[in-house]
Amino acid sequence: MQRILQNPMAVTGLCLIGIILLLALLAPWIAPYDPDAVQVKQILIAPSAEHWMGTDGLGRDVWSRMLFGGRVSLLVGLVAVGISTVIGVILGALAGYYRGWVDTVIMRLVDIMLSIPSFFLILAVIAFLSPSITNVMIVIGLTSWMGVTRLVRAEFLSLTQREFVAASTALGAQDWRVIFKHCLPNSLTPVLVSVVLGIASAVLLESGLSFLGLGVQPPQASWGNILTDGKEYIQFAWWLSLYPGLAILITVLGYNLLGEGLRDVFDPRSHTR
Amino acid sequence: MTNRCMTNRRLTRMHPICTKQYASIGQQLIIGMLCSALLACSADSPDQNTAALNQPYPAQTGGTLISAMPSDPSGMIGMVAGESASLAIGAYLFNSLLTFNQDLDLAGELAESWQVADDKNTITFKLKPGLQWADGKPLTSADVLFTWQLIIDEKTHSPYASDYQLVTKAEAPDAHTFIVHYAQPFAPALESWAHLQVLPKHKLAGQDIHTTSFAQKPLGSHYYQLKEWRHGEYLKLERNPKSVLGPANIDSVVERIIPDPAAQFLELMADNIDSMTLDPITYARIIPSRPALQAKLNQYKELGNSYTYLGFNLKRKPFDDVRVRKAINYAIDKQEIIDGVYLGLGIAIASPYKPGTRWSNPDLTPYPFDPAKAKQLLAEAGYVDSNGDGIVERDGKELSFEVLTNLGNKQREKTAVIIQRRLKEVGIETRIRTLEWASLLTNFIKPGDFDAVVMGWGLSLDPDQYSIWHSSQQGPGQFNFIGYNNPAVDKLLEQGRIEFDPEKRMQIYHDFAKVLYEDSPLVYLSAGYGLTAIHKRVQGIMNPVPPAGVGYDSHKWYLPEPLRRTQIQAE
Repeated sequence: MQRILQNPMAVTGLCLIGIILLLALLAPWIAPYDPDAVQVKQILIAPSAEHWMGTDGLGRDVWSRMLFGGRVSLLVGLVAVGISTVIGVILGALAGYYRGWVDTVIMRLVDIMLSIPSFFLILAVIAFLSPSITNVMIVIGLTSWMGVTRLVRAEFLSLTQREFVAASTALGAQDWRVIFKHCLPNSLTPVLVSVVLGIASAVLLESGLSFLGLGVQPPQASWGNILTDGKEYIQFAWWLSLYPGLAILITVLGYNLLGEGLRDVFDPRSHTR
Repeated sequence: MTNRCMTNRRLTRMHPICTKQYASIGQQLIIGMLCSALLACSADSPDQNTAALNQPYPAQTGGTLISAMPSDPSGMIGMVAGESASLAIGAYLFNSLLTFNQDLDLAGELAESWQVADDKNTITFKLKPGLQWADGKPLTSADVLFTWQLIIDEKTHSPYASDYQLVTKAEAPDAHTFIVHYAQPFAPALESWAHLQVLPKHKLAGQDIHTTSFAQKPLGSHYYQLKEWRHGEYLKLERNPKSVLGPANIDSVVERIIPDPAAQFLELMADNIDSMTLDPITYARIIPSRPALQAKLNQYKELGNSYTYLGFNLKRKPFDDVRVRKAINYAIDKQEIIDGVYLGLGIAIASPYKPGTRWSNPDLTPYPFDPAKAKQLLAEAGYVDSNGDGIVERDGKELSFEVLTNLGNKQREKTAVIIQRRLKEVGIETRIRTLEWASLLTNFIKPGDFDAVVMGWGLSLDPDQYSIWHSSQQGPGQFNFIGYNNPAVDKLLEQGRIEFDPEKRMQIYHDFAKVLYEDSPLVYLSAGYGLTAIHKRVQGIMNPVPPAGVGYDSHKWYLPEPLRRTQIQAE
């Protein structure tokens, strides 16, 4: 922990994420307006004291929508990465521990999944199902577990060669005990880094999907669909495109900095790079 | 949306309108980037020619008009291709027997006169003398007969065949007479002859209509002929000196293929095109925010022949209850939608016809916004909020339904959001779902698997709306997908089809609109304006805009010499 706090990248990342998370969590209390309140008499007002980030094409307060949109974006990021991490860890552990045909099957599955451009896979699946937050979270989770699987498998491959693993096997420990008690805790560091980086890319994916109208459905706000609403007015209502863009940028930057910082802290090899 | 200025009065058929704004994901992203890039570097420099642009010049010939259309035509025979781009170009090239004058009444084009027999089953057209094709060959009733035979031929698969298949017999007894017989009176028949683009028999006889080279190198009789066609880039049309209606003023017309409206607008700003169709935001906000651009353009606003609606699946509960439908109608503030979504560029309507036309019933006024009345009607229908969660219920079942609309149409999405908001205030819960247009039609509309939809109707000039409202038109893929079934309306629609007298027909359709109004099978949301910008170098545009539209009489438009683009002629 001490080492994390000494790493400037990790600290900056933590601060950025902290601010965004706090704002999103407190949204119902700090949002000055109802995010879905349509006010046709107040369409496209530039940022002012009354509306900090102006209003959108239906007269809704952009600041309030940004706060509530942040909840969606972060929720999708966390849940999607949760799903992908669980899948990735389990498959990676099985592949790395049992090796042989289990490994071959799982790794070929990973290769197959990696060979499909995931964004287009997600687009196709969402278009087939119906767009909603739940579907977006599940689909992103189900299509982004491959990196974690590979990491965990690699860790397991080396861990299973260690003496303490051989010792517990020799003492008659069951497979699941060896996997969960001995190997997994020792392989979590790289997983942590990939989880943090994974959240960043899930936030981006969600924004992309909402931008294309395949993510969060109206009237609910998300950064992606505030941005796509803004595209229509980009020639004169810059605030509709700037603020959600900045929010996505800061969030993704925050997670990436934190992820890179953690990697530096945990991985001795990365110091030489 | 077709995007034409010239002769856009042609071939407006009844069709559900999708108005997809964006062609593809890739395009969206690229255009987005382009816009932001250009925003940074284009400074509106005041144009010194602005004063000259406002000066009127005498009519003259010559010059090139450059216009834009969203998609490449698939061929030049519009009646076979059945898509708007082909029909648009076809309207430059081919004539019809009849046309509409500036007040949208029927007038002769190739026909000098026409006569409906006393039994109303036979129409006799007399062609004008001395008609000829652009190659000098005479245009006779044999060509008209040939075109009719072509359209009704099973092998042609024309999407417009049905109206012409009602003709039991057609004959051309001499070169100037064309007679059609119907089994029973059919009032929309006359309009159908204003849509049929007459094709040259001497070029097409004996050819396979789907593979003929004529579709690439057409020969017409109208104001222009096709000079050059670069697929996906542009079509160049040149004045036809032998035009049956006399030569047009402008020498040539270039139709550029620019699929994305945002890209079209960039071209308009760069003065690379002379005219385009605008959306409300461009019209009301973007152009006024650029005075230098605005000074170079004439902007036109005319009521379009289409409307947006909230339609119910009448076969499902609770929409079978007229009180619920009326309650929803009262609960929606149409003016709010018009102001918020169309930036005020629309009007509320009370009948399925363009307001101000003969067919629109002037006695009806749009349902006012009255939430109290809506709640009262809901209570009468048995819907009350007994558990205090803000949603009304009847027999323990909450009044809640799903509203579908097509993805990518921002205006409809916004409309749905406003409706959702207002309905919640009277205790009705709605969920919005946007679907890709093709998927919406195939998976939901055709099988009738929906609660409510926000969609639009584009209307023809003839008041006959048999296909939308008659109870027999409910099959999969037919237009009465909301399942409207009212014997009184069926009877009026049947009468309207056989009544030729305009006054009596008007009364029939006024009665029809009144029944619909009382029944409220759908909520008319708004009729939008068609918005056009045309560069001021184009003069001679009819002012004020006649009912037939800004494109009426476009052959009289002219480009004064000093205002033309400097052209380099490549030889």
